[in-house]
Amino acid sequence: MSVVNQPTPKPLRQSPTRRLATAVEPYLYGAPVVILVATVMLVPLVIGMTYAFRDITLLNPFSGGFVGLANFRKLAHDADFWLALKNTVFWTAASVFFQFVLGLILALLLNRPFAGRGIAQALVFLPWAVPTFLSGLDWAWLFNPVVGPIPHWLVALGLMSQPENILSDPNLAMWGPIVANVWWGIPFFAITMLAALQSIPRDIYEAASIDGAGAFERFRAITVPFLAPTIAIAILLRTVWIANFADLIVVMTNGGPADRTQIVASYIFTTAFRRLDFGYASAIAMVLLGLLMIYSLLIVILRQTLLARF
Amino acid sequence: MAEIDIRHVRKSFQNLEILKAVDLSIRTGEFIVLVGPSGCGKSTLLRMIAGLEEVTAGDIVIDGKRINDLAPRDRNLAMVFQSYALYPHMTVAGNMSYSLRLRKFAQDRIAAAIGEASRVLGLTALMERRPRALSGGQRQRVAMGRAIVREPQAFLWDEPLSNLDARLREQMRAEIKKLHRRLGTTSIYVTHDQIEAMTLADRIVAMDAGTIQQIGTPADLYDRPANLFVAGFIGSPAMNFLHARMASETPTRSALILADGPRMTVPETLGLQAGQAVIVGIRPEHIVVGDAAPRQTGVAGKTGTGAGEAIVDLVEPTGMGAIVHFRLDTVVHKAYHLGRADWKAGDHITVHFPTERLHFFGATDGRRLN
Repeated sequence: MSVVNQPTPKPLRQSPTRRLATAVEPYLYGAPVVILVATVMLVPLVIGMTYAFRDITLLNPFSGGFVGLANFRKLAHDADFWLALKNTVFWTAASVFFQFVLGLILALLLNRPFAGRGIAQALVFLPWAVPTFLSGLDWAWLFNPVVGPIPHWLVALGLMSQPENILSDPNLAMWGPIVANVWWGIPFFAITMLAALQSIPRDIYEAASIDGAGAFERFRAITVPFLAPTIAIAILLRTVWIANFADLIVVMTNGGPADRTQIVASYIFTTAFRRLDFGYASAIAMVLLGLLMIYSLLIVILRQTLLARF
Repeated sequence: MAEIDIRHVRKSFQNLEILKAVDLSIRTGEFIVLVGPSGCGKSTLLRMIAGLEEVTAGDIVIDGKRINDLAPRDRNLAMVFQSYALYPHMTVAGNMSYSLRLRKFAQDRIAAAIGEASRVLGLTALMERRPRALSGGQRQRVAMGRAIVREPQAFLWDEPLSNLDARLREQMRAEIKKLHRRLGTTSIYVTHDQIEAMTLADRIVAMDAGTIQQIGTPADLYDRPANLFVAGFIGSPAMNFLHARMASETPTRSALILADGPRMTVPETLGLQAGQAVIVGIRPEHIVVGDAAPRQTGVAGKTGTGAGEAIVDLVEPTGMGAIVHFRLDTVVHKAYHLGRADWKAGDHITVHFPTERLHFFGATDGRRLN
């Protein structure tokens, strides 16, 4: 037997262009999306953020100059802004709370088998398909004592002394858009909660019922922990959307009466497109962005801790 | 510890009848295995005992008390699920103590109970882990631990080993058996695996199509299957069946004509008329196979002793022995041959069916005749 000396293989040498091509390949695949996101989102975002530090009023040909933090200083003392911020918190908290609670109840009901469940599920999700603009108009009319039944029902129930439009009552006006928003947003929670409920293995409930858990205990010990991560992410998304969601308010009350339904989003809209003060509007928007980012971060951290338990 | 009586229990979903009048009485401390193919109603019966399915008709009685309408938690039974059904958000200790916490046991009693159970099951080092950080076998053990800490009246096992690999299944099977010997708690165990049924059961309940086919000790079911279903279901590889016709019968022996022509005389009376069809069964491990003598070239089994010549179709070695598939006339049968089997497809072999090992079933109703 003899040992055959094989020539040692030459080290693989690639040409510099080939190595360059290999290196940039993944970036080329990603490029179309990056370019799209950059042109329609990032660039406008950055330009918008620079507006916050400039004096940009559309009808003033001499505006456009750099003003530093002047817009923010003005914002700190702007009573309208602070009222709008307060209204935003109330609007968002009330809307999300009722959407979530009612949506969860609806999901729990739809999760149990009954005759006609398929149709019921389809019907329940209908409000989601109605354009917000239309549902805002509908609800404004429903609250109007001249054409709508709601004020008369409230009188009949003894909740109101005479049929009035709550949208014109400064103390109650915010409840109008909130009711419309709750009606419109319940399906979102119902869909997400129902999907999460259906992913809970049935035999875990069965094991618990054999272990001695009653209906409420099963809900507390199994349903809630299983739903918690989904609840966290759904509430995060809804909160951010609703805080920015001025459609219903603009359609139903247009911020009135006396700015009592003005939220930050509608205040930005008014400042930018009615008063045409883009610089100041950008400053408000940046503050809102910052607040929502802090909020989102907290929810994401909460969700991670919830998920870590599984 | 409990005596469980199942009296004329029926179950139907809409118009579909799943269980047809099942009667079964289980003695205190007995290990009962419900076995049958999927869809035979065995799991449904178990779930009805647990209270997870409603009873359509009939009574389930534990220690003289009718429990049909009792909620699962009031029946004091423990169940081990095929999927384990552990609470994923609770630790091993949390899973095992959950039922005790719900029953408001004192902390020290809970600690003692789960400490004892974890020691028995070898889970002590894992008590703070969550189920997702456990292997399949460990999860199975936690599910068992959750069941035993409660000291229930009876254990219900719903195919608990189906999700484990073969080696682990063998090991857990032995552990379940030891656990039962140690605790002595009445157990009802559902499986489709006849090896589990044979190894674990005090008595096996063989079910098919919603009815009980036979109740008996593993040896009963193996040695004297009551009908064709049980004969075919218990034993692996499955029993061979040959079609035959009754030729004549004397007070001590019967002469049969096999479908492929040869006659066979057996020392049994089957109570059949001449010409009636009969199915002859023999387990693969009872067939004696050997090399064909070179001079024998004729067609099998003219001698009347159940011996004859056959052609090898396939040989499956299992290590301990080999499953020899052979062709008699046109039908393929299987024999289990202990030791080496060096035959190849096409080889001629002799096969011998010892007459004392034969089972006879009616061709129309499938009932055992001998």
